[in-house]
Amino acid sequence: MTLTEALKIRQQNSKDAPLFLVKLACGFTPLHLQTFLAARIQQALPERNIDVTPGVYGDLAGCLESVREADSVAIALEWSDLDQRLGYRGAGSWTPRALPDVIVEARRMLDRIAGAIERITVPLALSLPTLPLPPLFHTPGGQAGEPELALGRSVAEFAERIAQFPGVRIVSAARLEENSPAATRFDLKSDLATGLPYTLSHADAVASLLARLLAPAAPKKGLITDLDDTLWNGIVGESGPEGVSWDLASHHQMHGLYQKLLAALSEEGTLVAVASKNDAAVVAKVFERDDLLLSSQQVFPMEVHWSAKSGSVERILRTWNIGADSVVFVDDSPMELAEVAAAHPGIECIRFPTNDDREGYRMLRRLRDLFGKQRLSAEDSLRLESIRRGAQFRQAATSDTSPESFLEQAQAKVTFNFGAAGDPRVLELVNKTNQFNLNGIRYTESDWQRALAAPDAFVAAISYEDKFGPLGKIAVIQGRTESGRLHISTWVMSCRAFSRRIEFQCLKALFDRYGAREMVFDFAPTPKNGPTHEFLACLLENTPFSPVSFSSQLFAERCPRLYHQVETISEVER
Amino acid sequence: MPFDNMNDERRLTSCFQTVFPDLPETSIPSATQALVPAWDSIAAITLVNVIEEEFQIQMDFDLLGELDSFQRILKYLEQQKVS
Repeated sequence: MTLTEALKIRQQNSKDAPLFLVKLACGFTPLHLQTFLAARIQQALPERNIDVTPGVYGDLAGCLESVREADSVAIALEWSDLDQRLGYRGAGSWTPRALPDVIVEARRMLDRIAGAIERITVPLALSLPTLPLPPLFHTPGGQAGEPELALGRSVAEFAERIAQFPGVRIVSAARLEENSPAATRFDLKSDLATGLPYTLSHADAVASLLARLLAPAAPKKGLITDLDDTLWNGIVGESGPEGVSWDLASHHQMHGLYQKLLAALSEEGTLVAVASKNDAAVVAKVFERDDLLLSSQQVFPMEVHWSAKSGSVERILRTWNIGADSVVFVDDSPMELAEVAAAHPGIECIRFPTNDDREGYRMLRRLRDLFGKQRLSAEDSLRLESIRRGAQFRQAATSDTSPESFLEQAQAKVTFNFGAAGDPRVLELVNKTNQFNLNGIRYTESDWQRALAAPDAFVAAISYEDKFGPLGKIAVIQGRTESGRLHISTWVMSCRAFSRRIEFQCLKALFDRYGAREMVFDFAPTPKNGPTHEFLACLLENTPFSPVSFSSQLFAERCPRLYHQVETISEVER
Repeated sequence: MPFDNMNDERRLTSCFQTVFPDLPETSIPSATQALVPAWDSIAAITLVNVIEEEFQIQMDFDLLGELDSFQRILKYLEQQKVS
């Protein structure tokens, strides 16, 4: 992004939109870093009025200690913030005698900054020093001496410490190096003349990564892979189960690396499925091989037959119950990719670059970027298994003579946790659920914290399990109580939990807990929340118009029989 | 990029519009630092960087004090072309 482009983006910022206030902490003149950061965040959050406010020049720690009311904090830390002698604008000594004191002072400042960061409760992104150290060490430029290594170690220990604080995200130095090579970062002329030590390109590179950490794109949810010449090298129908390969010895390591990445993604909660034109029995033999790096347990479902792949993708999406725009399809055949892309608008199609390791490396990194998450939760490891169980649940439900008796015998247990306000999985579920979603409103972390801090606010995280196994946290309901009335602002439920009457149990539990006479919902139709619309329409026996409300008496009359065992965990002290 | 009087006046006007979006286009040719309240020290640096991007040149920050009007900047750009 050029400075001109950034300024033009800033001109489109809507002052009427809800404010998103970012505190920019840096010890130098923020100048264009501020402009680029505001433009990059504006691109990620176009519906917000972005305001990036810098702190006082030369006092990064003081700026952090005075953070109030911000929605998030961005920190561009540089060596001169740790000690003025590590910059170019001061008169402090560069003599060898001064170095021990520089190191002591830098450590003291890092401690102070870490203490300030620990007290900040909103999301915070930080870039560690990005500029070269000045030539103050006695060693020649190509040699790292002890003082330089000591400074590097102090910063690394600081980073490791603060990375454990909730909400803290640290810019990847390796990714920054790729986007902004070290030799192109520092502008001494600008530093001396204006106080901004960054070149324009480096200011944008730092701003881009800080913005990506503060306003991250939602990760994709599922990956559908081809098999022949994609998951492995070769055509299994021609070579046989032992004839396909994916290892170094066969010169097809890229396929092994792809398998390893898919196995890791699956363990991290990404849904992985197979769509392949093949003989299912032959493919099953390959999945029995001990040296395959992706187990059949990490893949569900497998669509292996000779029909069109668009149909396979259709069935996989139905099983996963997610939209095409949350899914990536990987295949080596441009024709198959085109066929799937045409049938499923929004799906991200990636060609597996057969026999091109350089492109293969790019693909692996792109997949990591598309599926990367800021944190893993216990639910992530349950996801694929719960979908497998969900398929069993639906199959059992349809084959049972009476759906009512099936639900009765499901041994279902619903747990309401009213003390889950600080659980990051709760907000994650709110922001990624589309179908059963009261109004589609997405929250930043600071918006969410503000909503929960309102007087008489409540939030419940709902978990579910039955005889088929646990589904983990599958729903969130958030609102406030006001004189005998419950006002529901947010209500989402994972599509994995449909058909179990959990939505009825949610409302029943709230009526029971708060003794409310009436419930009011901030319902708004979205292109994707048809299931919520249907549920409310069924309950009202009419088309729902916002705000939707009904009495406890009406709910009691229309609620079907519920068979869940209910457990409630009460709110903890906040 | 070669200098062309008409074209470059238009390009410089575009730079001013980017940095001073509230300044009417008709006022830009007569704009001076004294007449444009938004033309503070930060805007001056931003203007220089935007001109550098547009004209693919390097400008000297020491000249910031002298380049205090649209016409002076235009003249500076013409001189850059000649030299």
